[in-house]
Amino acid sequence: MQIYLPIAELSMNLFFLVGIGAAVGFLSGLFGVGGGFLLTPLLIFSGVPAPVAVASVTGQVVAASTSGALSHYRRGGIDLHLAMYLVLSGVLGAFGGVATFAVLRDAGQLDLFISLGFLILLGFVGTLMLIESTRAILKQRKGIVVRDRLPNQHSWIHGLPMRVRFKKSRLYISVLPVLVIGLFIGFVGSLLGIGGGFIMVPALVYLLRVPGNVVIGTSLAQVVAMMAATTILHAVQSQSVDILLAFCLMVGGTAGAQFGASAGKYLRGEQLRGLLAILVLAVAIRFGLSLVLAPADVFSMAVLGARQ
Amino acid sequence: MMRLLALFAILFGLVAPAHAARLVSQVSNDTVEITSSFDGERMSFFGQIMPDAGSTEKVVEGPFQTIVVVLGPTQNRVARQKTHNFGIWLNTDQVEYKNFPSYFHVLASARLKDITDVTTLTTNYILPEAHTLMPSGVDWWKSAVFGRELVRLMTEEGLFGIQENGVNFLSDNFYSARLTLPSNAPPGPYIALTYVFKNGEIIARKSEGFSVRKIGFERFLALSAVQQPLLYGIICVLLALVTGWLGGVLFKR
Repeated sequence: MQIYLPIAELSMNLFFLVGIGAAVGFLSGLFGVGGGFLLTPLLIFSGVPAPVAVASVTGQVVAASTSGALSHYRRGGIDLHLAMYLVLSGVLGAFGGVATFAVLRDAGQLDLFISLGFLILLGFVGTLMLIESTRAILKQRKGIVVRDRLPNQHSWIHGLPMRVRFKKSRLYISVLPVLVIGLFIGFVGSLLGIGGGFIMVPALVYLLRVPGNVVIGTSLAQVVAMMAATTILHAVQSQSVDILLAFCLMVGGTAGAQFGASAGKYLRGEQLRGLLAILVLAVAIRFGLSLVLAPADVFSMAVLGARQ
Repeated sequence: MMRLLALFAILFGLVAPAHAARLVSQVSNDTVEITSSFDGERMSFFGQIMPDAGSTEKVVEGPFQTIVVVLGPTQNRVARQKTHNFGIWLNTDQVEYKNFPSYFHVLASARLKDITDVTTLTTNYILPEAHTLMPSGVDWWKSAVFGRELVRLMTEEGLFGIQENGVNFLSDNFYSARLTLPSNAPPGPYIALTYVFKNGEIIARKSEGFSVRKIGFERFLALSAVQQPLLYGIICVLLALVTGWLGGVLFKR
């Protein structure tokens, strides 16, 4: 069944859209990430113009993260104080990201920056995750008991000025690294159409030493709020949010995410992280190849200026 | 488009007296409506070649050839070229084409080169490449190279095309032409220019307009995205929040 997407101005198969939404939603439920880093490239490869794909997936990420954020909130797994700092700086970063997005699109370099951004970000995060999870799995095999990092271990990052007390996370740390993380994720997220959960979680765990019981919830709350703001920014700035496209993806995504979350219970944490790392690296390699290999067509075209 | 119309008016004045003939023509639909299930639209163009008004002849003698040119709304388009730099491929060169048609299809009753000469085809913008011609002062070689590539890309998208068997003559002076507008046909005002040729010369011409537009819900969505972007964005977010929440409730983890 074909459905006409009014902003993308092309018709696509409804079942295909709901299907990729569900498939990515399954993976996002399984790994506890937003899934934007898979969905945006998938849409671009299936013919949706890159600006529309990025802006619409932003809306989808809001939906995908909402149910998770709510259930964490009910369990008390969100440090609202910390999330507020992250969101405020994140929205600021998103302003920068959306503005950069418009400049790059007009200069014809948006595709390049999306590819480079995904390659560097996913390649880096994927490699780190793979190393970490392989180590954990090997230690497990040898029978070494892996102890969680103690929350009161401090690094130089915590010693920076402007310290704030975050009660729920039992942290008394400088607010500067929190703001930098928020700013960076806001900028990158709005530019690439990703929630940034897969950067946020490691950053909170390894840099800020946020305890495990509030990491996922806080990250999800931050993703919901920041992506909501980014969606509105994209709608105002580039008018490339396709609400029908986003809705098809949302419906598939929220359904898939529930099944993914139940499937995730059968896998162990480090196995999940290892699988996610491989997935992330695969996407990074795909983008890397598109930059390095000779393109099928060295010519491309685009419409300039305002949409009618 | 204005340029085209001006040219059309001038040429009409020059050519008409030589071989007087009149074209009575019609388009099957004057609006193509884009609905949620829009998957392209079939259109037909038909017409009859008649003696000019005031002429004593009852019928005009053929054989005639007809070309129908369908032009979509114009846009500013760029063609870009990737080159290999420092190990990666990136866009390094581009040419901008102002007021470039977003849709261009030529339907003809015979091979274009058998109907008339290339000069007539080019000056009447019947060949796709004619739209990539640049005003003087621009690097014409580069614009010609990029123009050819742009036409090729548009053809691959199904937005440009030439069908040299697109027009059928049902009698000596009655023709019909069929065109399938693709689903990615850009919305906006379209113009269908019909040229009648006899012995390689234009003896009659006519233009008709039709519009491709979104209607109903699609039109509402596309308009609100442009006219009320803030509200549209907020509604997108609310929709996402409700869908996410509903998903969580329905499936009760």
